Amino acid sequence: MKTTVVALCVFLSCSIAIGSAVLQCEHKELDIPKEWKDMVDPCVHSMRGQIEEELKAAMQYMAMGAHFSKDTINRPGFAKMFFESASEERQHAIKLISYLLMRGELTSRVSELIKRNLAPKTTSWVTGVEALKDALKLEASVTKKIREVIKVCEDNPTKYNDYHLVDYLTGDFLDEQYHGQRDIAGKVSTLEKLMEKHGALGEFLFDKKLLE
Amino acid sequence: MKAFFTVLSVLLVGVLASEEYCYDDVVRACKTTNKLSTSPINCTAKYGAIDGVEEYLQKYVNHHFIRSFEYLLMSTHYANYEKNRLGFEKLFRGLSDETWHDAIELIQYITKRGGEMNFQTVSNDIISEEQQDANFELYELQSIAKALDIEKKLAVEAHRIHGEATRKNSKFHDPEISSHLEHEFMPKHRDTIRKLAGYTSDLSTLLNGPDSSLSLYLFDEYLQKQ
Repeated sequence: MKTTVVALCVFLSCSIAIGSAVLQCEHKELDIPKEWKDMVDPCVHSMRGQIEEELKAAMQYMAMGAHFSKDTINRPGFAKMFFESASEERQHAIKLISYLLMRGELTSRVSELIKRNLAPKTTSWVTGVEALKDALKLEASVTKKIREVIKVCEDNPTKYNDYHLVDYLTGDFLDEQYHGQRDIAGKVSTLEKLMEKHGALGEFLFDKKLLE
Repeated sequence: MKAFFTVLSVLLVGVLASEEYCYDDVVRACKTTNKLSTSPINCTAKYGAIDGVEEYLQKYVNHHFIRSFEYLLMSTHYANYEKNRLGFEKLFRGLSDETWHDAIELIQYITKRGGEMNFQTVSNDIISEEQQDANFELYELQSIAKALDIEKKLAVEAHRIHGEATRKNSKFHDPEISSHLEHEFMPKHRDTIRKLAGYTSDLSTLLNGPDSSLSLYLFDEYLQKQ
């Protein structure tokens, strides 16, 4: 009997606690002038798409990092480089997000911004050179997509040239893309020459160089 | 009787051989007269129960990626000009960064134990979440509550993998895996869960009154300094 009473009390006090706590969790609708928000839909749309592209590239690099970490592959230098590239690509996505936020975008449909379809397509490579070549192709395709975003934001059916964004993408993003591509192309060249007569030794030495 | 001993000795030799199969393979490979012979050499890093636990670890990595992106969305939501809560943005960005780096560390761990990563495998309960039209644009208290649930799920999943690795069964018993989880993941989860639970306590008392707007402003300022 006593236990029932105790249980009842616990139940009552519990429901009282919940009942009294009608929390004020939401705030009122805001009335903020919209005139300053001057990005146009086609441009915002292509920027949103680019965020996912950067994350896809990140996951593709992640697969390269995972592949070269395997004991049967054992290329810690390659793995380190690719894991770093993965995190860099993620930073690019975050930079694009920050830019849109600065321009007053991303106030709605944020939940749809990243979908769960980012798993990498290729997950194994025969040699280090092959992976580096894939990385170069991947960078080239990202560059091409950034150029497409620039085109849409410069000239679109709404005839609105988004000078500032175009300048940011050209000066900041493309600059990094071109420098990155030159770096990978140089690595492909060095490694391929190293491996011409001394395949296994060439890749071994190059891998250790990447760890420095 | 004699036959029995013969069988026994054959068995014993078999057992001994299986423990040195890398060495035996190497001996065979080096003796081969035909230099192009490419019989595989069994010298992998695998030992213990990694094969039994690998799939759980792979799923665990993919769950980290999914959570990392969800936290990134939550952080993005708080950084728009209407929400403008930079402290909450920082909190969720921190969680996104942490889950991202933990995923990389887990991949490195799987490969350290001779395993490999599979990016396709995800638990059914995480897949079913997606069909429920996930919403990451939440009010302050709700978003912390959601993060707390996510962190607890990750923590309990680590417990489950730990359980698999501690089963007293040679296929699953692997104290190295359980020790790695214990030392690298569990304390981090404990601290994050405690921190988030503390925030929900604070917010539920702060929001229970007329000053909720001001409270949220000050709480956000506090989060910016963390």
